[in-house]
Amino acid sequence: MSDFRGQTPREGGLGALRAKIAAIEAGGRADSESLPFGDGRIDGRLPGGGLPLGRWHEIGGTGMETETAAAPAAFTALMAAPLARRGEVVWVLRRDDLCAPGLLGLGFPPDRLIQVCARDEAEALSVMEDALSTVGVAAVVGEVEAADLTAGRRLQLACEKRSATGFLILRRPYGGPARREATGSAAATRWRVCSAPSEPPAGEFGLGSPRFRVELERCRGGRTGAWLMEATDAYCWEMTDVAHPLRLVAELGDRQLAPALPLRLAG
Amino acid sequence: MSWEAASLGLHPGQKATDAMALVPELVTAEAEPEADAAALTALADWCVRFSPAVAADGADGLFLDVTGVDHLWDGEDRMLDDFRGRLAANGLPFRCAIADTPGAAWALAHFGEDGAIASAGGQAALLAPLPPAAMRLSTETWAQIERLGLRQVGQLLSIPRAPFARRFGRAALARLDQALGREKEALTFRRPPNPWFARLAFAEPISVPEDMARVTFDVAAKLCARLETEGRGARRFEIAFHRVDGRALPLAIGLSLPGRDAKRIAKLFAPKLETVDPGFGIEVVTLVAHDVEPISGRQARLDSGREATVEEGLAPLVDRLINRLGEERVWRAVPVESHVPELAVGRARPLAAPPQARAWDRETPRPTRLFRRPEPVEAVLALTPDDPPTQFRWRGQLHRVRRAEGPERIGEEWWKGAIEDVRIGHIRDYYRVEDEAGARFWLFRAGLYGDPAIPPKWWMHGLFG
Repeated sequence: MSDFRGQTPREGGLGALRAKIAAIEAGGRADSESLPFGDGRIDGRLPGGGLPLGRWHEIGGTGMETETAAAPAAFTALMAAPLARRGEVVWVLRRDDLCAPGLLGLGFPPDRLIQVCARDEAEALSVMEDALSTVGVAAVVGEVEAADLTAGRRLQLACEKRSATGFLILRRPYGGPARREATGSAAATRWRVCSAPSEPPAGEFGLGSPRFRVELERCRGGRTGAWLMEATDAYCWEMTDVAHPLRLVAELGDRQLAPALPLRLAG
Repeated sequence: MSWEAASLGLHPGQKATDAMALVPELVTAEAEPEADAAALTALADWCVRFSPAVAADGADGLFLDVTGVDHLWDGEDRMLDDFRGRLAANGLPFRCAIADTPGAAWALAHFGEDGAIASAGGQAALLAPLPPAAMRLSTETWAQIERLGLRQVGQLLSIPRAPFARRFGRAALARLDQALGREKEALTFRRPPNPWFARLAFAEPISVPEDMARVTFDVAAKLCARLETEGRGARRFEIAFHRVDGRALPLAIGLSLPGRDAKRIAKLFAPKLETVDPGFGIEVVTLVAHDVEPISGRQARLDSGREATVEEGLAPLVDRLINRLGEERVWRAVPVESHVPELAVGRARPLAAPPQARAWDRETPRPTRLFRRPEPVEAVLALTPDDPPTQFRWRGQLHRVRRAEGPERIGEEWWKGAIEDVRIGHIRDYYRVEDEAGARFWLFRAGLYGDPAIPPKWWMHGLFG
């Protein structure tokens, strides 16, 4: 059953209704798992207290990163790293520029990664679907331009088959025309990720651990938010044994709390 | 030489002028040994529809090992009838015979009755009336036998072994023994005989795609049932569709783990079936399994939802992807011992055992995205020659560097090429830099400052994100 802590008792009726809807959305599978980030400030916003598993998630970049998608790829690898302990991870590419030693540096085990280079968008999506419904695959990452509602629904059905988790990195082909953003989507969450200036420990030179500005733009059954996160163990020989390789540094301005524009009624 | 020429008294080895004298209207043509050999090879390939083991004999003969194949035609005589009918339909002059040993079959085909079938162990009686030349003896031995007045194989067989060997040599005795099955004879088969072979023949030629998919499954089921009883699986399957016009159209699939699931094999062949042009129809389909190895345990069904194993889930997925996209599009990155970043990543088949190379170093930062070709970086400002850049322009955007790390010097692998080709410009100094917005880049300077003739150049090689 989805957890709705933080609801006041008088919202109990509403909570029950929400739980019912969540159960319907999960396709009768009420025991949907989630992967907590290990920090209440972000887990509290997500349904079930963590990143919902057995669903698929959209991760996009900003500016030039919509073409290169380096920060979204790094963020996805960090999110998928705990899942790589459960099974294989399949990464479906359109351009084979993913660098496995780089993923290892972030803490993602490349020996659990199968890379597939698809020839076109449709093929990438169908390979993702195929991989998601395969026994022994814990997570599938796909790099595509966009997934429309039909493709998204198909991905969702594939995820539900074996409770595998999908990550869709939105990436435009180099030099391709900007397509309009998909308005609706069947994704459980939508994230927008860009790199943020790192902070090396006092007295040290060079770069600090990689930091990301992470914005949760859409979240089914949860609330949106924005955070500053850090991959503390990146490029370290010793990995501190924490549940999640991403650490929350600070909460950024909540868009929901931002002053809403006054409504102007016509007529 | 054609049948007609032979009936006019001509024979191979005759001088052309003598032949012209005998038959003035003779049409002669240049001998083409290569074309003849090619035609024989084609015929050998065609014969695979009868038996997977076909060996060429000299320039004009073929041996087919039909052991355990004749039941497909309900008997050797029926098979021989079919064989003769098909060869005749192709307009080829031929003689053939079936016997226990290659030697006896050769003798019967060359000197006996055309189409003779020696019953098991009964070749001695059939060979007896043949001339000694039928025993594939060397010319000298043959001449000696002729001189002694021995005109039939039967007479040779009645000579005691020891004196025979002394008089005509061991080789001649070996030929006799080979013909009678007392000694084994090794044949060089065009393909090594593969016992993992299944074949389906149809009463009516098929050409509809659905039928082809169905027979693919049927023939796979036939072979897989045998593999299953022997506890084996194969890594590679080759199917061949034999068309009515005599052409064989082969298709092959590979599995990452040895398998014997007919449904899965048929599914892997399915997308490739459309490349097969059935022409006027397909009458025979054959399937051969290669790289057969023992596998333990029964394969569970894919939809059982039980414990996930590589065999049930990943191996079929990898096979599907490889057969659909091609082998070079599905891989697992494996370490290669090289300092050059683009050479440090190798590609291995996803389910193969990892290579024995030293793993990548976690502490040396490498980018998330590595460009296959470094992109040029312009307007680089650096305080001193060995300092990291303070600003640079890449893809038309100016980036101001906030923090930087480096240099990490990576030289070319000079020990691999000629020493004269080593250039100072091949040295790369890598810097990890972060701009004011937080984007992290991996750029390098190729070459060193100091030589005005070759100014160093800056390149962008990857992004950390």
